[in-house]
Amino acid sequence: MTALSLATRERLTDIWLAGPATLAMVVFIFLPVAIVAMLSLTDYQFGATTFSWIGLENYQKLFSSTLGRKAITNTLIYVAVVIPGSVVLGLLVALGLHRMNHWAPRLSNVFRTVYFLPVAATLVAMSVAWQMVLHPSLGVVNQGLVAVNLPPQNWLGDRGLVLYTLSIIGIWQTVGYNMVLFLAGLLAIPDELYDAAEVDGAGSPWSSFWTVTWPMLGPTTLFVMVITAANAFRVFETVATLTKGGPAFASDTLVYALYREGFVYFKAGYSSAITIVFFAILLVLTLLQFRVVERKVHYR
Amino acid sequence: MKPVLYAAALACVATVAHAQETEIRVHYAIPTIWAETQQKLADAFMEQHPDIKVVIDGPAESYADGVQRLLRESVAGTTPDVAYVGLNRWRILEDRGLTQPLDDYLGDQAEALGYTPALLSLGQYEGKQHALGTSASTLVMYVNPDLVEKAGGSMDTFPTTFDGVIELAAKINQLDDKTDGVWIGRHDWRFQSLLGSHGGRPMNENESDITFDNEAGFTAAGLYQRFATEAGMKSYGQNEARQAFPAGTLGIMFESSSLQKAFEAGAGEAFAPVVKPLPIATDDTSRVYFPTGGSGIVMLTKDADKQAAAWEYIKYVTGPEGQKIIVENTGYAPANAKVIEDESYLGEFYAANPNSRVAHTQVATYAGPWYAYPGAEGVAVTDLIAASLVEITEGEDAKATIEDLAETLRLQLGMK
Repeated sequence: MTALSLATRERLTDIWLAGPATLAMVVFIFLPVAIVAMLSLTDYQFGATTFSWIGLENYQKLFSSTLGRKAITNTLIYVAVVIPGSVVLGLLVALGLHRMNHWAPRLSNVFRTVYFLPVAATLVAMSVAWQMVLHPSLGVVNQGLVAVNLPPQNWLGDRGLVLYTLSIIGIWQTVGYNMVLFLAGLLAIPDELYDAAEVDGAGSPWSSFWTVTWPMLGPTTLFVMVITAANAFRVFETVATLTKGGPAFASDTLVYALYREGFVYFKAGYSSAITIVFFAILLVLTLLQFRVVERKVHYR
Repeated sequence: MKPVLYAAALACVATVAHAQETEIRVHYAIPTIWAETQQKLADAFMEQHPDIKVVIDGPAESYADGVQRLLRESVAGTTPDVAYVGLNRWRILEDRGLTQPLDDYLGDQAEALGYTPALLSLGQYEGKQHALGTSASTLVMYVNPDLVEKAGGSMDTFPTTFDGVIELAAKINQLDDKTDGVWIGRHDWRFQSLLGSHGGRPMNENESDITFDNEAGFTAAGLYQRFATEAGMKSYGQNEARQAFPAGTLGIMFESSSLQKAFEAGAGEAFAPVVKPLPIATDDTSRVYFPTGGSGIVMLTKDADKQAAAWEYIKYVTGPEGQKIIVENTGYAPANAKVIEDESYLGEFYAANPNSRVAHTQVATYAGPWYAYPGAEGVAVTDLIAASLVEITEGEDAKATIEDLAETLRLQLGMK
């Protein structure tokens, strides 16, 4: 029996360990992405027997047609509302609960669970609940507005309002998750820093927040923002269950358009082009996320 | 020696028996409505045809999902032999050459089997019969009689014109803040129905031009605006409206006749919904038609033996016996004239369900095809139509919007 050298054996072990997973990735992720990229250059119709190459026409259509542009701007508006909303609210809630932990730890835990519930709940099921809550005549929101003599709103039926309504649901859904991340960040701040700040005359809550908490939370905040952005770009469930992109495409978003074009209109080529654009956006965000995670806390 | 002979004889019998039994695979969608009905149909059919075995595929969630699956299966070579598809969706299969025309089987028997020309039109394209209707629904008015009485109206003298309906809806709308007068979906099928009531058609005979940009189209689309301005219609989404009507806060709702059972169950003890036929808005009733929703059945198998068995199955489920099972179990209207004409099939059912009689009579009298726009952009343009209806409801000029829409559709569909 010929003994393999140690180096060869180690190499074989490496291949044996990493090989199957790599193969699975190639077959189930890279290959489909390559096929989608190829389809995005064709006019392929789902189920059709033939197709022709049309170059970048699908991409051109996405960026120049009214509907394509609308889906892109709607998505950007949604992201632009959800990121600041859920990051700021998440931070405020985390700060509050972190302090509450000192004088009422049990209550703080209860609140933590309550805030985290929307994250754990199925969004599709929750959408049905939102639909009831926001119903123009039967919903509690409008009945409450009428009770205090404010005009009722058509939250999901008004073209100017629907996207913001969905954004608020998006914020509601992500606040709990961001809160957990911020709480972890707050726990990691050493108490000595607060003591030192107090000695240096920055003892008021306001100045200790700006001189200690906020700078120490910097990396966490960046991380939270990237995660929130990646989730916000993926918005689909609420659109699909509550508005179907309507009324009149007022709440059409990138992923919903992708679904609509591919699975309702059967335009596989165009839908693939949207997928590739969406993929590119997420790729950039993921790279950013890697960078952020790798960057060590540089304040220590 | 003997055992060998027995074995050989047994083998022979087995092969013969095997050769006689033809198996057909059936695809259907929407199990919430159809699951039990499909099993009943298959059982009843197999009892009459012991030589044919019906195997039911796991159902698709919706007609849209169902067509997707059929397309996927056609690519993979595992297409079922027979499929129930949405009446506005079989053209997608026809477009890809998957459906087998039924003309040879029908021969000159169509009328005798209970398929009237109106019913046959649901599955015809370019003179070929690709599908036969299995269940049908048209747009009807659901009325909350309590609200009508409260607003000073009467169910006995319920208006039969759109003007009358708008007037009554306005009165209901005035009752209080929570109560709405009328609602109709801003949707291709609803618009085609209103258009048909005015004697209009969405396209010309050979589908080479859009024909709703005329007086009939403007008036039909204008109704959306009149509902909003004169009767205070809110811009509910479909789900919101379908919650409001059973909750008793909506007076008159234009909806598919297939929702009758759901609404009656939803309203429960609170009130008894009444079904009224859609108003006819033209003097020339020969031009009136209502696009018909529901399902049709198509033959997909290319194997001659299976085709023969599949036709027996199709004939059974679209015939009076199959239709009786479908009507009694789903609440859809039948797509066979014999089952309505012959009281022995559904007489008792109609006596117990007067609302069904109203809806089903409307189908039998005015059934027409739910026009599917041709080509790759066919489904996409229906969303453009819906968007234009939203604009008209919210105050855009009906005539200008519809003219614009027709031009956009002509370009998009490659008609010019």
